[in-house]
Amino acid sequence: MAAKIQPFDPPSSASSDSDLNEYRDVVGDISVALDNDDEESDSIISSSMSPSKQSTSAPSTVLVKSPRSTLRQRTTSVSQSTKKTATESVLQSHTRTIYTAGRPPWYNTAGQQVEPFVIGVCGGSASGKTTVARKIIESLNVPWVVLLSMDSFYKVLTEEQHEKAAHNEYNFDHPEAFDFELLTSTLQRLKDGKKVEVPIYNFVTHARETKTKTMYGANVIIFEGIMAFYNTDVLKMLDMKVFVDTDADIRLARRLKRDISQRGRDLQGVLKQYCNMVKPSFSHYIAPSMIHADIIVPRGGDNTVAIELIVRHVHKQLQARGFKLRETLAMSYVGQPLPSSIHLLPSTPQTQGLHTFIRNKDTPKDEFIFYSKRLIRLVIEFALSLLPFKNVIVDTPQCVPYSGKRCASDKICGVSILRAGETMEQAVCDVCKDIRIGKILIQTNRSTGEPELYYLRLPKDIKDYMVILMDATVATGAAAMMAIRVLLDHDVPEENILLVSLLMAESGVHTIAYAFPQVRIVTSAVDPEINEKFHVLPGIGNFGDRYFGTEPEEYLSS
Amino acid sequence: MSAQCEKVNSTSPAYEFGPKLKLLRSNDQVRELQTILRDNVRTVHRNTSRTDFKFYADRLIRLVIEESLNQLPFDTCMVMTPTGNYYKGTKYQRGNCGVSIVRSGEAMEQGLRDCCRSIRIGKILVESDSDTHEARVVYAKFPHDIADRKVLLMYPIMSTGNTVIKAVNVLKEHRVAEDNIILSNLFTTPIAAQTITTAFPLMTILTSELYHIAPNHFGQKYFGTD
Repeated sequence: MAAKIQPFDPPSSASSDSDLNEYRDVVGDISVALDNDDEESDSIISSSMSPSKQSTSAPSTVLVKSPRSTLRQRTTSVSQSTKKTATESVLQSHTRTIYTAGRPPWYNTAGQQVEPFVIGVCGGSASGKTTVARKIIESLNVPWVVLLSMDSFYKVLTEEQHEKAAHNEYNFDHPEAFDFELLTSTLQRLKDGKKVEVPIYNFVTHARETKTKTMYGANVIIFEGIMAFYNTDVLKMLDMKVFVDTDADIRLARRLKRDISQRGRDLQGVLKQYCNMVKPSFSHYIAPSMIHADIIVPRGGDNTVAIELIVRHVHKQLQARGFKLRETLAMSYVGQPLPSSIHLLPSTPQTQGLHTFIRNKDTPKDEFIFYSKRLIRLVIEFALSLLPFKNVIVDTPQCVPYSGKRCASDKICGVSILRAGETMEQAVCDVCKDIRIGKILIQTNRSTGEPELYYLRLPKDIKDYMVILMDATVATGAAAMMAIRVLLDHDVPEENILLVSLLMAESGVHTIAYAFPQVRIVTSAVDPEINEKFHVLPGIGNFGDRYFGTEPEEYLSS
Repeated sequence: MSAQCEKVNSTSPAYEFGPKLKLLRSNDQVRELQTILRDNVRTVHRNTSRTDFKFYADRLIRLVIEESLNQLPFDTCMVMTPTGNYYKGTKYQRGNCGVSIVRSGEAMEQGLRDCCRSIRIGKILVESDSDTHEARVVYAKFPHDIADRKVLLMYPIMSTGNTVIKAVNVLKEHRVAEDNIILSNLFTTPIAAQTITTAFPLMTILTSELYHIAPNHFGQKYFGTD
């Protein structure tokens, strides 16, 4: 049977019609991951949509809304919004406060990864692993948790095995049933902070769906499954091991109830499967693995004391890894010469004149937009000149060969950092035909001053592209750094990233150049300072607000 | 033809252009645009070649226009930014206008409009006699106060320079000072550049490329009349 291991599906194998769901890389993942444990024989995709699963489908809805609610704050006056920040970020929905916040930095000031915390949850079938996992997530109150279920890694069955499964004779409770190779590599990549494509296992066809589930960006990874502690490689990756020890009678009772009432199977078949496979397998493989556990939780999800203990430990571990990013960034590198990775748009009377228009606070909005667009166009054209080019000789209509240049890479895509970065999208589309545009939403948390990642949507095979990352202004560089980190996590080579902006502060340039020396930084001007609100001085003000006309009221009246 | 190639390739320093001829700052991106506009495959054989051609031509035109505007005079000024700090900037002077030489010069009008929204644009139609190749002015219409303005004269391709010489003479007849004229050009041959700088030493000329063969298909390809 070992020979039947399904080879690892490359991410690109997913069909393009799945685009709509594909890139919701954010914590909405949890809904699917949680669901597929509950409904072993049902289609996972539909179950995530089913209204009966309210508690589990809640995160995806709340999450999608959360960026908007944060954006909305900006339209109100500042005094109101600071009050609202406190209440809105604690948006209550079945105590799931966690999903309203963005993801704080998961890397240090040098842009290097801080490893996420991995919790392994093991236990017999129907022991309540998922309940425990969910309760941990709820009590953790930490954003960006990924729940990885072992069920996603069942091997693809042959026709013969499929037939056996239909007669309750295929052993799903045996280590051989799992693709540990794929599981190990997936978990390792998640632990490295990389984007992964988790297979979706269809329990009807016993095969993997052509679609995969994209998971990315976890501060805490919860990995659960009956054989969670079986493989030594997997075991090494777990920072904390929890065993859910529920009485065998209760587990059988749950199984009977679930299989018969929810899945319409007959008593005979369920018992046959239990006695022949589930129970022996538990005694052989699962129960002995208890010795690896750090914590054994009796009675599963009802054991609030145990869960509280786990949560407290995880919090302590996360705190030990945490740090204040932005202030450190703003303070460093005062008075150093500009790094070599910066490419400044050559200054001309026109670019200076354009800067004068858009920096002047009294410039009317239509002029501001018009002159911004002109400057953006120049910056984008300049950025494109930094792409790799090759020499070519072409025939001309004049019948004389002409030696010129051609861009060596035909895969170029734009990624804008919302919202100000979007102002540059039009210019990119104007100069590159049919270019793909990805988006990343990063907002500053008003109470901590830290950037937080809320949303991202990137071309599927972004690793093969030259990426033009756009943000109108870069002050401390915190948001740009987060965006670059996201791109790197999606396997975009560092040297393929161009960070393009209109205006940067010196400290931001240094921060990014230090953390990511191979990222080329393109801008039209570098200003010397940043104020306490992290605005560039003398600066442009809030570029996004001015461009989209969403300045707060007190600014307009002053 | 090949004899001509060799001659120009090996002897480009023999030309004398004077200080008023300026070249667009070249980079790989600009070189690519120039290559595409000359490429026979792109310009002749493809079905979609015209939209493609126009797209890349417009991009190069935009860059040339932006650079031409840099030749205009400006003042320094101080403005206050929204953060309450001062920024020492520049301010363009008023009193400019564009003049395009019909027909290919009109291809550059949109590029100018994209940079200067309400600029006045005059036109000159110069036709060359099909027998004698003698250029003559058929039509000219300018803003009434053109004598007091800086003039951005637009003509993308120059192989002999005869057309431009006629056009500049018309402008001078309208009492435009020679040093108030900026010629905006995409491709010129060294011969044309020398002819014009010799004829009008005070006029500023901005081009993106000096090359011994001019892409004469430009106007027809851009307007789709080939």
